[in-house]
Amino acid sequence: MTAPVNLPLKSRGKLASSLPAEQLAEIAGLFEFRRTGYSLDAPFYTDPTIFKIDMEAIFGEHWIFAGSVAELPEPGDYITVDYGPYSLIVLRNDDGGVNVLHNVCRHRGARVLTEAAGSTGNLVCGYHSWTYSPEGNLIHASAPGETKFDKGCFGLKRAHSRVVAGLIFVCVADEPPTDFDETSKIFEPYLAPHDLSKTKVAYQQNIIEEGNWKLVMENNRECYHCDGHPELACSLFPTWGLTEGLIPAHLEEVWDRNKEAQSSLEERCRRYGLPYEVVEELDTRIAGIRISRESLDGEGESFSADGRRLSKKLLGDLPDFRLGRCSMHLQPNSWFHFQSDHVITFGVFPVNEHQTLVRTTWLVADDAVEGVDYDLDKLTYTWKQTNLQDKAFVELCQTGAGSPAYEPGPYMKSEYQVEAFINWYVQRVQEHLA
Amino acid sequence: MGSTEAPARAARALGPWHPQEFMAECVETVPEAGGLMTFVFRRCDGAPLAFRAGQYVNIAFPVNGEDQDPVDRSYSLSSSPTEPWTFNISVKRDATGLVSPWVHQNVKPGTVLEMLGPVGAFHLPDADRRARYLLLAAGAGITPIMSMVRTIHSLPGHADVVVLYHGAEAGGFAFHQELAYIASVDSRIKVFYSLGDRNKPEGWEGLSGRLTAAMLDEVAPDANGRQVYACGPEGYLNTATELLGKVGVDDTSIYMEFFSGDRQTLLEYQAELALAVDIAEEIAEEIADSAEDYYESQPTAFGLYEPGYDAEGPLQATGLPLETVDPEAPETSDGGSAAEAEAEAPDASSFETVGTGSLTLSFMRTGINVRIDPTEHILGPAQRAGVRIGANCKEGMCGSCKVVKLSGEVDMNHQGGIRAREIDAGKFLPCCSTARTDMVIDA
Ligand code: FES
Ligand code: FES
Ligand SMILES: [Fe+2]
Repeated sequence: MTAPVNLPLKSRGKLASSLPAEQLAEIAGLFEFRRTGYSLDAPFYTDPTIFKIDMEAIFGEHWIFAGSVAELPEPGDYITVDYGPYSLIVLRNDDGGVNVLHNVCRHRGARVLTEAAGSTGNLVCGYHSWTYSPEGNLIHASAPGETKFDKGCFGLKRAHSRVVAGLIFVCVADEPPTDFDETSKIFEPYLAPHDLSKTKVAYQQNIIEEGNWKLVMENNRECYHCDGHPELACSLFPTWGLTEGLIPAHLEEVWDRNKEAQSSLEERCRRYGLPYEVVEELDTRIAGIRISRESLDGEGESFSADGRRLSKKLLGDLPDFRLGRCSMHLQPNSWFHFQSDHVITFGVFPVNEHQTLVRTTWLVADDAVEGVDYDLDKLTYTWKQTNLQDKAFVELCQTGAGSPAYEPGPYMKSEYQVEAFINWYVQRVQEHLA
Repeated sequence: MGSTEAPARAARALGPWHPQEFMAECVETVPEAGGLMTFVFRRCDGAPLAFRAGQYVNIAFPVNGEDQDPVDRSYSLSSSPTEPWTFNISVKRDATGLVSPWVHQNVKPGTVLEMLGPVGAFHLPDADRRARYLLLAAGAGITPIMSMVRTIHSLPGHADVVVLYHGAEAGGFAFHQELAYIASVDSRIKVFYSLGDRNKPEGWEGLSGRLTAAMLDEVAPDANGRQVYACGPEGYLNTATELLGKVGVDDTSIYMEFFSGDRQTLLEYQAELALAVDIAEEIAEEIADSAEDYYESQPTAFGLYEPGYDAEGPLQATGLPLETVDPEAPETSDGGSAAEAEAEAPDASSFETVGTGSLTLSFMRTGINVRIDPTEHILGPAQRAGVRIGANCKEGMCGSCKVVKLSGEVDMNHQGGIRAREIDAGKFLPCCSTARTDMVIDA
């Protein structure tokens, strides 16, 4: 239970090697003998040591979605992103790029920036006012009489960053996985036409779900539970995730409507040169992804009850409102819906083994005016409701995993993506422990 | 945003952007296809006419002789506001009408008429990041649409325009030669013609039949992503409204101008005109008071058409939305807000004054005046006088001394402790700033 708390930043496998051999063997065994096609054993959701391993092996080694460029539109704008033991400053620099710095003062470790978002010139630690440039260099430390003090040795630690199609990804590993570049090439053409650099944040919602981060991600990979989302059901075809042959009689009519909507969407996509094909590589690459453009029910424009637009300004240079939703799942911590009129980003930031921050951000065209071009309540309604319902589902499972009666259960056919996510997770951790 | 010096001056040259009553002289008449005649006018006072593409003027025609009450009629402007020294109306002759035959017969170069304008909410926006339009015209409804096409064609920018023009007979499409020319040289503009089935001659290459959803889909499969401007007879526009809904165009993206109206529409026009008269009068008074001030206060125009676009798409939204200026509203000038803050604040002349030097800094919250030399950094003397300003690096790096100046000028030599945005908002770092003038500081 009492693993060392201070995970060294740069020492791969450090936690694992510092665990008592017996405990390590036990944990490795859990991964090794995981029953394919079944949900995970309880400790994966409840054990703080496994959580630490997750932070090290998954969140310490992979590219993590941090936010979008709309959240830091101008030089000096920043967000702080916290997950597990990490806190990062994601800052827009004067060159228009993004700097990612560890939010840990090099004096005595205080958080340098304490707000979730803001705007700053240089970065000043609130404790003893050590001052860092936006690049992280220590430029001022009032240290009277100090002689052997080399400011050059005490810059804020930097992390890696990539901005792809306006989405900001960070990686705290020494050597980030290179496979992310391949994954970027897959999703960039789908998302770029929505031009996030010309969007603004209409609303951001932060909810803490009382559940392990994997339950949050698992829950998002299936629509078996979508009956529990009445608001979402207006937009999403209830046949989502099903294929020919799996359609129950009462959904046949919907299935036909779905097929028709999809084929007209695909025709539109071809006309405008927008990719729509499903790419599904959830457990076949390091940066696991699923992306596609799919039709929405009703008018097919947005996540509204009648499928009509929720913002009157088109994104980017898109020509058409009926572009359904371009949806992406990106492992380990994000999913997205890109419509013609707005974009919703979802970031999953683990707090501890039983709590997870889910950050949902609604972006609209930067020239859209609230109250004129969009109504904020209507814009956010469907996913606010859906998020709360999902939070409840996740929490039901977390509670269940804590029960002595819990035992892994089988994933259904329509839950194959959950299985793929878990399979990816198990592989990634095993590789790290090896 | 978008309000820059240059266009403001251009707008001033063109202004005012509000209805006025003026006299105009006909300088040319041009017969058009479809029984239309274009009348080119210029204002008798020599001023340009500022309007927006799609608007109309109301003209008093002395149909019954100069000594009788004139008859008023509204006509859309068909020329482009980018050529504002003359302006055109195009009048279709309606043999049974009272006015149009008279106009065709009597209005000639040299004819002077009394006008009110510009009027009307049916016009292109002043700023539009995505200038993506579907312009629908039937018969004489082409007049305001023609103004829009000419305007877009005459200006640079990224636009995507589809015109669908319905006519009764093959020879009856007014402006067709010019439209064909524009479409041939301006890749941003596409023009489609459709003829009623009955009059389709041999070899007709355009579309045929009335407006249908399929036709809309054919000419503009992305209609639902466009702003639609439609002008024509009432029946045509009613059909258009219904069909546009079918192809997914949002109600709020549809703008219509009726060319023949029921009582309701006519009443709406009357209301519009009555308002225009009021505004025209108010503005005339204002200009009489001070023409200089009035023109200074005119907003930017033509933001839509500034080259904020390139082939890749929009660069940034430019221009200001140009709405009716409330003549009652107080004028805002640069010094306005600071002056206001000063007015509310306590009177610095009652403060104690300390120190020596050629300049005076008034610290409003502390309630003290500090005299200072122009070479001295502000922070030290201020702190010594008891003004509470936090400071750490004293080198313009940490930003901890940041304060707001209410008036006055500084020379600041900072090292990243402050952002351009904050400087614009009136903040500065006293640790690395010297005063250039007397100052009032919010500290
Ligand atoms: S801990 Fe940051 S300055 Fe001391
Ligand atoms: S004291 Fe650091 S910027 Fe002025
Ligand atoms: Fe859900």
